[in-house]
Amino acid sequence: MKQTNSLVKTNEPMWKRIWQNNHLRFMLFGVVIGLLPWLSDAGLMKSSTLSYIGNVLIYAVAALGLNLLLGYSGLISLGTAGFMGLGSYIAAYVAKDMELGFWVATLLAILIPTLIGILIGLVSLRIAGIYLAIATLCVSEILLKTFEQLDTFTGGMQGKTTAYPTLFQNPLTRNGTYLLLVVALILVMMLTHNLVNGQMGRALHAMRGSEVAAQAMGVNLLKYRLIAFSLATAYAALAGALYVFFIKFSYPSVWNLNLSLYILAAVVIGGFRSIYGTVLGAFVVWAIPDLVLKNLPVIGEINGLAYIFNGILIILVVMFAPGGIGGLWPKILRLKDKLLGKNKQDKEPKEAGDAV
Amino acid sequence: MGNELGTILQLFLRSLETGSVYALAALGIIIIYRTSNITHFAQGSMGMFNTYIVTYLFTSFSMPLWASTLCGIAAAVLIGFVVDLLVIRHTKKISPVAKQIITLGLIMVFLGLSPMLFGVDPLLLPRFIQSGDISIGGAAISYNAILNICTGLVLMIVLFYVLQKTKMGLAVRTTASNESTAMLMGVPTRKVTLAAWAVAGVLGCLSGVMIAPTTTVTTTLMNAVQVNALFACVLGGFQTFYGPVLGAYIIGIGRNFLVYYVSSVWGEQIMYLLILIFLIFRPNGLVGKKFIKKV
Amino acid sequence: MSDALMDMQAPLEKTTHTLMRDDVLRVEHLSINFGGLKAVDDLSFSVKEKEIFGLIGPNGAGKTTVFNCITQFYRPTEGNVFFRAKGSEEPLNLVGQPVHKIIRYGLVRTFQNVEIIKELSLLDNVLIGGHIDFKASVFEQALKLPRARREEKALRQKAEEVLEFLEIGSLKNQLAGGQPYGVLKKVELARTLMAEPKLIILDEPAAGLNDTETEALAETIRQVRDKFNCSVLLVEHDMRLVMNICDRVCAISFGKYLACDIPEKIQGNKLVQEAYLGEDEA
Repeated sequence: MKQTNSLVKTNEPMWKRIWQNNHLRFMLFGVVIGLLPWLSDAGLMKSSTLSYIGNVLIYAVAALGLNLLLGYSGLISLGTAGFMGLGSYIAAYVAKDMELGFWVATLLAILIPTLIGILIGLVSLRIAGIYLAIATLCVSEILLKTFEQLDTFTGGMQGKTTAYPTLFQNPLTRNGTYLLLVVALILVMMLTHNLVNGQMGRALHAMRGSEVAAQAMGVNLLKYRLIAFSLATAYAALAGALYVFFIKFSYPSVWNLNLSLYILAAVVIGGFRSIYGTVLGAFVVWAIPDLVLKNLPVIGEINGLAYIFNGILIILVVMFAPGGIGGLWPKILRLKDKLLGKNKQDKEPKEAGDAV
Repeated sequence: MGNELGTILQLFLRSLETGSVYALAALGIIIIYRTSNITHFAQGSMGMFNTYIVTYLFTSFSMPLWASTLCGIAAAVLIGFVVDLLVIRHTKKISPVAKQIITLGLIMVFLGLSPMLFGVDPLLLPRFIQSGDISIGGAAISYNAILNICTGLVLMIVLFYVLQKTKMGLAVRTTASNESTAMLMGVPTRKVTLAAWAVAGVLGCLSGVMIAPTTTVTTTLMNAVQVNALFACVLGGFQTFYGPVLGAYIIGIGRNFLVYYVSSVWGEQIMYLLILIFLIFRPNGLVGKKFIKKV
Repeated sequence: MSDALMDMQAPLEKTTHTLMRDDVLRVEHLSINFGGLKAVDDLSFSVKEKEIFGLIGPNGAGKTTVFNCITQFYRPTEGNVFFRAKGSEEPLNLVGQPVHKIIRYGLVRTFQNVEIIKELSLLDNVLIGGHIDFKASVFEQALKLPRARREEKALRQKAEEVLEFLEIGSLKNQLAGGQPYGVLKKVELARTLMAEPKLIILDEPAAGLNDTETEALAETIRQVRDKFNCSVLLVEHDMRLVMNICDRVCAISFGKYLACDIPEKIQGNKLVQEAYLGEDEA
């Protein structure tokens, strides 16, 4: 958070100042996950693992969007997968069939679903919050049907294929595309950080605290719910575009309700309103079942294991640790301070601010 | 001309069958909503799981269909109890959104349990009455469809009788209108909630058994039913028990007519769009009331 | 019929559709029904510029309901609320305006139970009061474009000044959760000041404060009025505070107008005494 900067004392060591700059920290995180392809090339990591992690990064983008909506305005969207799918087909169609290149494809893939999202939001958000969940559930069913039926655009049940993107006349390899995912995720994390720590974030916080007080402060509830939902849709659509460029195909059965539930699980497990938590949540939801549980003896053989794992985890987190992973961080820091005998008052706000 | 009338009648009768399936599922959702204040997204998934049990007993143990259905109902009651005792009972203090998330988590659990216990291959469940149909005014309707329609109607009549005329029903309605007051008045709200989850489970199981013969038993068996049942609640309004039933039949009729007359591919989707548009004009549903928020 | 009655009681209070020159707010024939119950019944009063105006009445008199009607949380069944909006000479009828627009006209309120966001610092809480002054779009905020940075910086400075003025500047980076009630009350007041209001509505500002804190609050309210050139309308149970700081007081009972005068005269008013006595007996 911003107050961090004002607390930085100039005589502190360089590394500490870098560490306390949120944006540099995001970049550092990006460098770390960006180094993974070299691990893979050096044979220290299975090539398929890199694909799994790439997937996690893509879903993390969508989850960050859903967290803006769910974490701040307490609204559930069950259309995440549908909007991701729409983004992926548009990106593939524009890039491959219309040959307009990566940038135009991605831009359109974000814009069109977002506009549809705004329309749906306008209809359902004027009513009680629960209607958004139901309306988006219905929209995702409509979209799924569209993906199956609109052959010329989506390739029907066979799905749609595309190639790795070409950036500045430079066709990317798998590793290059992976790096593109990393850059996209880090950018999204930074933008989200700016948003939630600025005026919009404060307005959303105010709404969460008390809708009545927020209105008295001039916050237009409908407007900010709509903005949160539009952002969630835009993030999902971007994630869909990234998916089709990294995985190189998109077909209807990917974009069903189960994927939306997975993304919701990532948000819940990662912790509401926590940026790093959400990314970690995505890792827990996708990577742990695929990379860890599947390799266990006996248990790994069970069908539907990932669903059971995530389903039970969501319920347990909601019941016993509503802050998710992100909610654990301040507790760990407080414990650390207690153990080290530090109990300075002025530390408190910084810790909570850094929890995101 | 007479033929046309016959078609309409045929569609109408088929809609009654579809409507019954949706109505049973919707009733389950509304009972949970009213007693636990939860929008029950897992109604379909729990119904799907119980239908799996019925189908599995029928195919793998060659149990007669009626017996396996009874076992399925028993399992539904049991699972309803377990869900309430283990989870729902302990969520009294958490927000409605968190409760919804729990039902979404339940979807995932049942989505995982089904292939784990019953395998990944689609199963088949036959109709109760294999063949034979009667003709009413030029429209043919199978005995099984009549059975389904009647089962639905009888169940609903029984439920409404219980809700309106018995002490148990009064307890449910009191819990529904204000749980803490109900508790103070000596209404056993815990028992009411427990029973509600069992009843919702049974309703879900029956709607699953009704819809299963028209398709294969897979994890996606109840997806459309869940969506339509939720829409029935939206259309009828969450404030009454009969509203969602009304909504379910309207959706059943609307869906079948749209599929037949407008588009066999897009009929259902057009129906959804129409409901969304309807909501703009009547956000609280057909028989819904408006709340006054207290500041 | 009721109009005729009204005319007999208070012949001067006819619908004017305007404001007296030094009025900032004028409530006219305000009524609201809940079910069959008249929570506010044909109430009229006006608040002058730079005036501290008290609204008193026994429990359940409908004071907070009047506030909610003025700020449009409730839509009055009848009557008008004229307000001299910021930057406009023409009086504006607030009835029917969206709730979130009210603050833009220069009318801000606090709440009986302080509505502060625990997870945010005091400074961030105060910045919420500057919500309407942000012109930068969501895109500009996400990318931290110059305008967003500039506005954020300016408002941050303003918020710090306000906190300093209320003597809690040193706490600005503390989380709101865990702060004493008195501090939170000041934060809520600071938040209203961010909007540069013409009229601040305080809903029981002294509730939960001890005697010393209440006295300090009285002083603060006066200072706020003098420094920010605004009027203050307050609902209060604490009679000492009301008598201490209010220029004029309006007493109501069961939603009905009893009297409106300077504090000393209100104290001596028969109707008011009866209304409060009635409460004591019950």
